Amino acid sequence: MSFLSPLFLVGALAAVVPLVLHLLRREPERRIRFAAVKLLEDAPVERTARKHLRELLLLALRMTALVLLALAFARPFFGAAGAAGGGAVIVALDRSYSMSAPGRFARAQAAAREAVEKAAASAPVGLVAFDDAAEVLAALSVDRAPAIGAIEKASAGAGGTRYRAALETASLLLGGRRGSIVLVTDLQGVGLSEGDRVSLPASTMLSVADLGPMPDNLAVVSVGSDGDRVRASIRNTAEAARSAHVRLTLDGEPAGDRAVPIAANASADVVFPVEAGAATASVAVDDPEGLQADNVRYIVLGEAARQRLLVVTATGDLDREAAYVKAALEASAPGVAAYELEGVGAAQIATWSPERLAPHAAVIVLSTRGLDRRGRDLLSRYTAAGGGLFVAAGPEVDGDVIEDVAGSASTLQLAAEMRRQAGARWMAPVDLRHPVLQRFAANPGVLGLARFRQVARAEGNACGVLARFTTGEAALLDCTSGAGRLLVWASDLDNAWNDFPLHATYVPFLHEAMRYLAASAAADEVLIGTPEAGGTPPGIVELPPAAGRPGASPRRLIAVNVDARESEPARVSEADLEAAITRLKDEPAPPAAMAAPEQEDRQHLWRYLLAAMVLVLAVEGIVAARTA
Amino acid sequence: MSGSAPARPFLDPAVVARLGTLELKARTIVEGFLAGLHRSPFKGFSVEFAEYRQYMPGDDLSTIDWKVYARSDRYYVKKFEDETNLDCHLMLDVSASMGYGSGAMTKLEYGACLAASLAYLMNRQRDAVGLSAFDDRIVAMLPASARSGHLRALLLMLQRLQLGRETDVSAPLHQLADWLTRRGMVIVISDLLDAPDGAIRALKHLQYRGTDVIVFHVLDRDELEFPFDRPTRFEDLETAEQVTAVPGAVRERYLERIHGLIDRYGRELGSAGIDYHLLSTGEPLETALLAYLSTRSRTS
Repeated sequence: MSFLSPLFLVGALAAVVPLVLHLLRREPERRIRFAAVKLLEDAPVERTARKHLRELLLLALRMTALVLLALAFARPFFGAAGAAGGGAVIVALDRSYSMSAPGRFARAQAAAREAVEKAAASAPVGLVAFDDAAEVLAALSVDRAPAIGAIEKASAGAGGTRYRAALETASLLLGGRRGSIVLVTDLQGVGLSEGDRVSLPASTMLSVADLGPMPDNLAVVSVGSDGDRVRASIRNTAEAARSAHVRLTLDGEPAGDRAVPIAANASADVVFPVEAGAATASVAVDDPEGLQADNVRYIVLGEAARQRLLVVTATGDLDREAAYVKAALEASAPGVAAYELEGVGAAQIATWSPERLAPHAAVIVLSTRGLDRRGRDLLSRYTAAGGGLFVAAGPEVDGDVIEDVAGSASTLQLAAEMRRQAGARWMAPVDLRHPVLQRFAANPGVLGLARFRQVARAEGNACGVLARFTTGEAALLDCTSGAGRLLVWASDLDNAWNDFPLHATYVPFLHEAMRYLAASAAADEVLIGTPEAGGTPPGIVELPPAAGRPGASPRRLIAVNVDARESEPARVSEADLEAAITRLKDEPAPPAAMAAPEQEDRQHLWRYLLAAMVLVLAVEGIVAARTA
Repeated sequence: MSGSAPARPFLDPAVVARLGTLELKARTIVEGFLAGLHRSPFKGFSVEFAEYRQYMPGDDLSTIDWKVYARSDRYYVKKFEDETNLDCHLMLDVSASMGYGSGAMTKLEYGACLAASLAYLMNRQRDAVGLSAFDDRIVAMLPASARSGHLRALLLMLQRLQLGRETDVSAPLHQLADWLTRRGMVIVISDLLDAPDGAIRALKHLQYRGTDVIVFHVLDRDELEFPFDRPTRFEDLETAEQVTAVPGAVRERYLERIHGLIDRYGRELGSAGIDYHLLSTGEPLETALLAYLSTRSRTS
């Protein structure tokens, strides 16, 4: 039995009061050895033994009444002991699209139901569904109906797998209770990124209801447009060669199909010619037995206008002061759009008007030399209005100036004094799911090839650390500044403090960074699970124009696709999951805040206790009347 | 002059209780009492000169009156009134109820002190004195004697008395009445918390045997006044029976019963010619000695 308000139990000490009064009253009723008791024999007094018995009965009744009252106020209930003592069970149900194969999610639902039903009757059970993000579908309760109902209503979505989100949400739901987490999942390897860490109390047990490896699957993993052609890549994860039937749809109308043989565990490209004038296309593959969400992929067609980027250097001469940046961002390749770069001296930008700056999709600051107050305000207003700013904190950049530009809301602190520290360091990504680093998730090690000799110190409460140097300093920060974004690169981009420009990852890194900063203005595809996608299902979405947003283009169509990595059959082991968990020392279990009131409310034991107290008082009244 | 001297105050029982031995207590009481008597109407009663008798061989030489010899050249010895042979028997109740005492002395201690004082006084008057202790039977007995060493034996016996069992006044008195062969005096010291019919009948039995009977009814102040005010559990000293009572509620009834008992003893014993004296343990013992001497004067 547990109590909703256990402090009221202190009131049970009041039961001692009748006992004390009884003992105090015993003293006046002293015992005297008397000679003439015979003469008292017929006096109208009660015989001692009988009265003593009644007194004890009265005492017991009064003490019982007080204890019952205290118990009633403490609001007892049955079952919470399990919640506080280790019985809470959180079922985390994987609803990523890797569960979308026929019958697969039904098995997941059955496993989740079984986990709920196997929990001890007194244990509260909660349900969390997760893909890229986790959602509490049923709060902790000893009542199984909410959890079972939520399991029945759940369905596989189009999101990817992210165990960190599931475990963090489950841990929050446990709220420090002792308990266990049952992960109902197919153990998709992509769900655990390098660097993902989750903190769980040491007593929280993690068990996995494994649904087994992914079935044979065909997936459209990419679709690209190359002028008059649409190229799609089809992935076969089966251990045997398969023939894939691929279909093209242009503006919602069927536009052709192909049968493509694909070797075992391999990919094959399919190219469809397209007529000019089509705005959108989708490529689908027939795969009734495999995952369903990756059977189709969408693309917005048409030559994307080259986006304009502004590069702020000391004089504005990009050939001399930003040669590597210029070369990298003006390069184009299939699937990688080139940018149109414009250079400006830090001192000259003060003469610019906001209207002149607005068409630029992003601004790269390589120097703050001569950037006066007006120029800082202009850049600050640009980012506040939604513009993207990339700061390469190299030798030409003054940290105080950048802090001014970022504004106080960002709480960015960039060390004005650049320090040359002993020894070299390398970069290690922290959040490979971030759009800037997502491209490197398959092989994050390539980012660690560049050698950094000198770095700047950057930090900010409103900034997320995307990558760190091996010496611990932040390497890449993603900060918000008003409606815009600010990427702070804690070194230079011109081969002064590091040899990053000499590595192959330099170009894609800069492109991804610019693509991220100019996202809402330039993106024609977003992936499910990213903030830009929100809750939008896969397909072509027409967006309203982003009024006033710097760099905004008139295009309003965007393709929303699933994250193709979810189609990868690689699995993670339970040991890997456990290794990603940081075990924390158990804290004293807090009151079962969620489940206890509910249980107490359902049981209403206090009513029975009060009724019992009234009954006891009634009996006490009768006995007392006879004793008086 | 002596008549104008202030009367010596009697000794408070609390003071007596603090005295050492029973003999000291008795001597202090009696000597003080007799010293007071020289200035009282009882003066001259005790060792009165009776007559001269011619000396005969064997008489104690100390009794020769040398003044008469000087005048008459003959030996005469003095004879005194007190040289009588009154047999007095003290009956002291040692039942458990006599163990009650709210003041300086329990009823038994008070009774023992009274018996010692009476014995001392009697011994001083050359009366033979004996002692019986009883509860529901005679538990100890010392026959009456006037010898000088007898007093010490009697006092020693009193000193060693222990509380006994339940009170039954009648049986020991009947037993004593059967034993006594000479007329004399019996002094009963008891709380008489017994069935009054039996006790009165036994006392009358003694009286019918030609024995002068004095009854000292010793009660504690609590028993006479029932001063309790808080709820009290009373446990009988003899039977261990317990009665819980609110004194305020039972006092009137109790006092009515105890005074009824006292009145009955006084009335019925008085009508039978038995001296009945109610004594509270708070009263000076000299009061009892006065009562004794008053009766003694009538019987001599």
